[in-house]
Amino acid sequence: MTKGGSHIILFILLAGMYACTSRKIFTSNYFTENEKALTEIETLYKKLSEQKPFAIGFTDRSFEYVSIEIITDSIKYINEFSITDQKMVDTLRKYALPEEGILELVLKMRAIHCIWVNTLDYYTNNQKRSLVFLSVKPVSVRLPFSAEKYLVLTFYQQPQYYDSDGNLLASRRLRKLRKINDETFRRLNDKVAYTVSEHFR
Amino acid sequence: MTSKVFGKFGYRFFVLKGSLKNIACFVFFAVCTFFASTVSANKLNDTTRFSSREEAIAFLEKQAGLAQSDYWPNINPVLFLQNIRKNIEQPLSIYEGRSTNFCAYAALSYLPLHQNPLDYTRFLITLYKDGKAMYGREYFEPTRAVRLAAGTLSFKGELDIRPADQLWFMSLADHFKGYLNLFDHHYNPGDENKTWAAVNFAKFNRMIRRLFNYHVDAAGSDLIRPGFRDAFDYLSEKIKTGTVALFVNNLDLYKKNHTRLRLNIPTHFVILLGIDEADDDRIAITYWDYGGITRQYLPESFLRKIIFGVSHITAKKNND
Repeated sequence: MTKGGSHIILFILLAGMYACTSRKIFTSNYFTENEKALTEIETLYKKLSEQKPFAIGFTDRSFEYVSIEIITDSIKYINEFSITDQKMVDTLRKYALPEEGILELVLKMRAIHCIWVNTLDYYTNNQKRSLVFLSVKPVSVRLPFSAEKYLVLTFYQQPQYYDSDGNLLASRRLRKLRKINDETFRRLNDKVAYTVSEHFR
Repeated sequence: MTSKVFGKFGYRFFVLKGSLKNIACFVFFAVCTFFASTVSANKLNDTTRFSSREEAIAFLEKQAGLAQSDYWPNINPVLFLQNIRKNIEQPLSIYEGRSTNFCAYAALSYLPLHQNPLDYTRFLITLYKDGKAMYGREYFEPTRAVRLAAGTLSFKGELDIRPADQLWFMSLADHFKGYLNLFDHHYNPGDENKTWAAVNFAKFNRMIRRLFNYHVDAAGSDLIRPGFRDAFDYLSEKIKTGTVALFVNNLDLYKKNHTRLRLNIPTHFVILLGIDEADDDRIAITYWDYGGITRQYLPESFLRKIIFGVSHITAKKNND
């Protein structure tokens, strides 16, 4: 076998190993390293969105532009701004959103490449509940042409039920895996579960 | 001459033949008149049906005490009626569910819920009671797999607690088939998120024509964008004269430039409610999807890029 051929085989083997093992390691490491920052973002977002519901996310790879969804009783407004644009502050002011808090949130998100945060409703025993849905675009080596992966974290208000393998369950009685956006989640702690997904929202 | 040649019998034969000719002419004339009147009557009846919210509510109130259906064992009749009532009273609240492929079915529901809620209500009640029903020109008899699954969908957000919407969306997906459903014809649990429920542009327009009897002028396709030069001018003109549904690239609509590789295909249906020019040269589009109204600000070039299909839907009238 030629030297080039053996390199190709080695590359394929390494790529295969990467695909099989990277997900779990990178997730738990990432969460451990950034737990404080992630929790701060979740807490700040929850506090701000209680004043007025909104969702926010970065729309570009360089983390320069944000899309803000301002949710009122009758209509949802979606607008995109450069984070340095005065229009963003004007718009936040116009809709009586806490501008300083949101700017702080944007900077915190940018610092750890958190690209999206919003509130999601879900139902347990026909009761409406909500969770904070947060996704991160970690800087990691990616195989060429493979789909982009996001680390998605869900923060619940009450402790959740997990099976012995750490998979998130629908409820205590219903031993069925809970799905959010058609993805199953795994335990990070009692109130936080994660998945790695091709979809960030 | 005839009697001379054929005698008495010949004369009678020709008299009889003449009478038969007259009868044949008469029958022919009668048949023609009948068909002409039928065609004319059909043309007169070929109008889009309308009804009011009050009529639908009055019909729904007569259904109090609806018994549990044997055909839909997982749909509670009380919750079913509550869901229909909510749809009639708040037609924008109908919700396709999170991560399903029901967006087209939810988008087309905009028409009956706003313009003919009575027929929509009648259809759902009949389908619930009898397991089969007619809607427009379509006969529905959902498969057993669908009847058992409706009412059990979960982890779809508010759709979890909307059994009538589950029945409606699943029956539509079960009944109407397009090329995208070619390899997934039969429902299996979880198929609501897969190609079983997928809708291509032609199927969307066909459903509207056959169920609700509207004129649908469609521009665009599943892969090639419509050839208008100015999306703003085109859509502004269309929205003045009818309901406008857009077939858009969902990934782009909720703008995400995180990835280098993106499939540029349409995946989502929305109802366009308004379009106007914003202060900063951008276009503000107001549309309905996911159970609510959204107003989004976009550059015109971007708007043109995301639109793959425009359905201009107008009611049929007597003189059409």
